[in-house]
Amino acid sequence: MGALLRSLEGKRVAIVVGSGGVGKTSVSAAIALSRAMEGGRTLVCTIDPARRLATALGLGSLGNAEALVPAEAFARSGLAPKGQLFAMMLDVKRTWDDLVARHAPDAATRDRILGNRVYQQVSGALAGSQEYMAMEKLYELSTERDYDLIVLDTPPTSHALDFLEAPDRILDFVGNETARKLFAPAIDAGRFGARLLQAGTGFVAKTLSRFTGSDVLSDVGDFLGQFQGMYDGFKERASAVRTLLTQPEVGFVLVASPSPLSVDEALFFHDHLRKAGMPVAGAVSNRVTPDLWPFPGGLPGTEPVAEALAAALASAGPGTEDLAARLALTLQEHQAFARSDAREVERMRRGAPGPHVAVPRLPGDVHDLSGLAALAAHL
Amino acid sequence: MSGSELLDRRLVVVTGKGGVGKSTVSAALAMLAARRGKRVLVAEVDARERVAPMLGGRPSGPVIREVLPGISTVDVDPRHALEEYALMVVKVRAIYQAVFENRVVRFFLRAVPSLAETLMLGKILHEARSETSGRPRWDLVVVDAPATGHAVQLLGVPRALLATVPGGPLRRDAEWMQALLSDPVRTAIALVSLPEEMPVTETAELDARIGKELSLPRGPVFLNAMPRELYTEGERERLRAVLDAPPPLGPAARAAVLQAEQRVRASAQATRLRELVGRPLIPLPLLAFDRWGRRAVERIADAMEGQV
Ligand SMILES: Nc1ncnc2c1ncn2[C@@H]1O[C@H](COP(=O)(O)OP(=O)(O)O)[C@@H](O)[C@H]1O
Ligand SMILES: Nc1ncnc2c1ncn2[C@@H]1O[C@H](COP(=O)(O)OP(=O)(O)O)[C@@H](O)[C@H]1O
Ligand SMILES: [Mg+2]
Ligand SMILES: [Mg+2]
Repeated sequence: MGALLRSLEGKRVAIVVGSGGVGKTSVSAAIALSRAMEGGRTLVCTIDPARRLATALGLGSLGNAEALVPAEAFARSGLAPKGQLFAMMLDVKRTWDDLVARHAPDAATRDRILGNRVYQQVSGALAGSQEYMAMEKLYELSTERDYDLIVLDTPPTSHALDFLEAPDRILDFVGNETARKLFAPAIDAGRFGARLLQAGTGFVAKTLSRFTGSDVLSDVGDFLGQFQGMYDGFKERASAVRTLLTQPEVGFVLVASPSPLSVDEALFFHDHLRKAGMPVAGAVSNRVTPDLWPFPGGLPGTEPVAEALAAALASAGPGTEDLAARLALTLQEHQAFARSDAREVERMRRGAPGPHVAVPRLPGDVHDLSGLAALAAHL
Repeated sequence: MSGSELLDRRLVVVTGKGGVGKSTVSAALAMLAARRGKRVLVAEVDARERVAPMLGGRPSGPVIREVLPGISTVDVDPRHALEEYALMVVKVRAIYQAVFENRVVRFFLRAVPSLAETLMLGKILHEARSETSGRPRWDLVVVDAPATGHAVQLLGVPRALLATVPGGPLRRDAEWMQALLSDPVRTAIALVSLPEEMPVTETAELDARIGKELSLPRGPVFLNAMPRELYTEGERERLRAVLDAPPPLGPAARAAVLQAEQRVRASAQATRLRELVGRPLIPLPLLAFDRWGRRAVERIADAMEGQV
């Protein structure tokens, strides 16, 4: 067992973060798989699995449903887990809708909010909405289910801090006193019809309606008005989620590819987690090019290498000189990738002290349980 | 359309999955157009201001600036686009500040469907058709667009407005915007992909959406970071037998086998993508650079020569 999995041994929740495409989903599933192999009942909650991986985990198109990965799937990959692995796909929109349903005082309010265009924008496309709902779902799962380990895979965030900040940012708006005052005429308009808005006295609302059209504004007013009674419930829950994230049973896992941007992002997030008192369980540098040159000081120039290769190949017959030159070039290019990867792995190791693992670029995608097991072997 | 007349367009929008090389391709297209004597603007949308540094300049800001002879860049962000537009509407800066600089109002504006996209796209398209003394201000505007989903939102704005706004100035804006965007003589949407499973799947879906859902002119598909074909099957066999030979042969054989395997997987994905999009791809080489900057972009531009 590698350093990361060891560090996760006492945890009940692992949250896997990093920029898009670095391998978050694969790492999440591999962590959950490995605990299941040892006898745990684990769940991986993912958001954007590659299609073949989704199929391998038995994730259909149905969102938000926890499904047991069937024994046959393990058998096909030659794996015999002592425990159980569950997988689910987060459905952001449905999680929002469920949350509204949970807090709405009555069915009429619920339906009115669900049909509101501003609500649809907030729950669908607003920055941070996915992150907010991922946290919400995690809270629900961790309080209402009895998994030994829940691994939360996270959306390809454009702003890493959305995880920590989006809930408050979104709730501050919907429950904001100033907002209610600013949009007061619009709130009235929402209740009593759009006519009032045109005659409304609110300076801000009037200026804005020139800008966006008055029906959009009355949608905002309506949304804020309907939300008013639910705000406290939402707020309480968001603060419970925040408290959960600081518990020692939770561990964040940072994943980065060995590229400067991805490492920058992971380290930025690492610093903020530390400041917010949230436990970091470890870091993964994923898809690292291996260093193939055994001597210190790096490769000699391409030409001496080509000559040495030509000599080594000469015994093998004619037509090898051109091969030697190509091989020298390939080795040199490979080592250039390995060098720049090593530099970024080192930066990650220094910037995020604690358990750190480097996972090599595996042959082929990680698209089934055996691929996940191969990945887990490096964690 | 093949890539061959791509640079004769007025507007080329470059999009694709995150990290596939959109900024690189945008920068290289600009470089190539500038080599042909064109005046080019690269507009970065939500793109982390990466293009100007790739061309050897400081990161772009909200004001258009020349980074290389013939190439200017600008960073189009919702905040500044909103400011410009809002000032046009309310005219008085004090009113603008009182209303639009309010934190709550800012949030509200983000929650208004498509407002940010409308303003950003409006600003870019305005540059693409602006003229100074009877001649286009730019021969070519390259848009380094956001990744897939956001790009579709961005490009779908005029269409959505036309469907919902019955009349007035906003509708007239939507009309010229859509006319420019959907005109295959002036505009092309170029896609960038990588020869890997997920990017290929996403590119094919994006290509279909651009054609069917948005009815916009589909341009070439760039297949970035394609490893070269260097070793024959016979050579690979021979190399596999010497993986443990003393250096340099052993390490070189390992590097070559890894490279060859990567090439095989990449070719399979290239074939898949070509079949899915139903047209030829423009391959761009996988390059080994310690730091990704202007020299790398020059090499990509060289590789594009003759293909666009
Ligand atoms: N160590 C690895 N070696 C080879 N391929 C990998 C590795 N880790 C991930 N992949 C592949 O990279 C792609 C992106 O991985 P994914 O886990 O979906 O990333 P993310 O969730 O961060 O977007 C997938 O096709 C996956 O199979
Ligand atoms: N052809 C290529 N060969 C090798 N590396 C590449 C190539 N194209 C891009 N890269 C790498 O990928 C990174 C991301 O490229 P970029 O153009 O910024 O992508 P995007 O704009 O789509 O996010 C670059 O910094 C570079 O390291
Ligand atoms: Mg993912
Ligand atoms: Mg970019």
